[in-house]
Amino acid sequence: MEAIEHPPIFSLPGIPDHVTYTWLVMIVLTVVAFLASRNLALVPRGLQNFVEVVLEQFLALIDDVMGPEGRRYLPLIATLGLFILIGNLLGIVPGLAGPTTNLNTTAACALTVFISYHAIGIRKQGALTYLKHFMGPVPALAPLMIPIELISHLARPLSLSLRLFGNMTGGHILLAIIFFLMGLDGLIGWALSGSVAGALVGGLGGVIMIVFTVGFLYPLKILVSFLQAFIFVMLTMLYISGAIEEAEHHADHHEQKKTR
Amino acid sequence: MSRSLILVGLAVVGVPGVASAAEAAGGGGGWIGPFAVIAAGLGMALAAGLCGLGQGRAVASAVDAMARQPGAAARIQTAMIIGLALIESLAIYVLVVAMILLFVQPIK
Repeated sequence: MEAIEHPPIFSLPGIPDHVTYTWLVMIVLTVVAFLASRNLALVPRGLQNFVEVVLEQFLALIDDVMGPEGRRYLPLIATLGLFILIGNLLGIVPGLAGPTTNLNTTAACALTVFISYHAIGIRKQGALTYLKHFMGPVPALAPLMIPIELISHLARPLSLSLRLFGNMTGGHILLAIIFFLMGLDGLIGWALSGSVAGALVGGLGGVIMIVFTVGFLYPLKILVSFLQAFIFVMLTMLYISGAIEEAEHHADHHEQKKTR
Repeated sequence: MSRSLILVGLAVVGVPGVASAAEAAGGGGGWIGPFAVIAAGLGMALAAGLCGLGQGRAVASAVDAMARQPGAAARIQTAMIIGLALIESLAIYVLVVAMILLFVQPIK
């Protein structure tokens, strides 16, 4: 990976780059939260207005997916969403490293989600009731259901972390290939070399590739950044609401069977 | 027809390996590297193509449903995006495997 990865312009000695830029995201989020909540007004203006609009979007999403009882999990969900979104967008800025392009960061986020949705489920229903859901609807099916449930629950943090990491790193490798392997730097060097053919061919090729990169790849990467943050938040909400609501679903199934 | 295709595929897959095996016999170095590159490329191509087919089916029926019921377009769109992400993650797994093969090179 080091072969085509460009080092960021600023890095602390002895500390990996993704940790440095994770701290940068944390500083940005903390400063924005501090500035927005310093003078809380009933009629918000400026930064407070903006932050309230953003958080109301999260609240609307939570109401849509989890219902009103999901509102108490807004801090977890919105923090994860904003952290991942700013981390993704930081990776697009040339010269900075994105924290989410490293598997360690995304695995940390996914493990947070994994542990907290199990904790929420256990706290909401009690440990025994919660663990009973792993046995499936009928006790006779338990030897079959327990491995399936265990694998499906263990696959969740794996797929969450790998999806985010793969999308972000794939975009970066695409940009690196465009710039270095397909020879944008070579074309620009040829255009600046002074010869007429170089100015014609290299200049035209360089302009085409720059237009392609700026006009197509960068908007695509911004879209992917927002989309992946949205999907991470969405799946987190689905997992939490699954851990909360499992009891009611199972009760419904039993009642349907009885009435039948 | 299919047999000749298989032969051509075997030749395409095998020739770089044979060439580099000869190289390895001469001057040392792993023979698995070229196979890893081919596997990464072929795997990513297969994953991207089949993922495109699957996502196309999903988007087609989602657009169909949105055209029939414009009132439910927002909910359908949310469900479609989640489904697309879940389908896409399969291709992303292959991308991660390809990156491991190319950059980490666990088997030399």
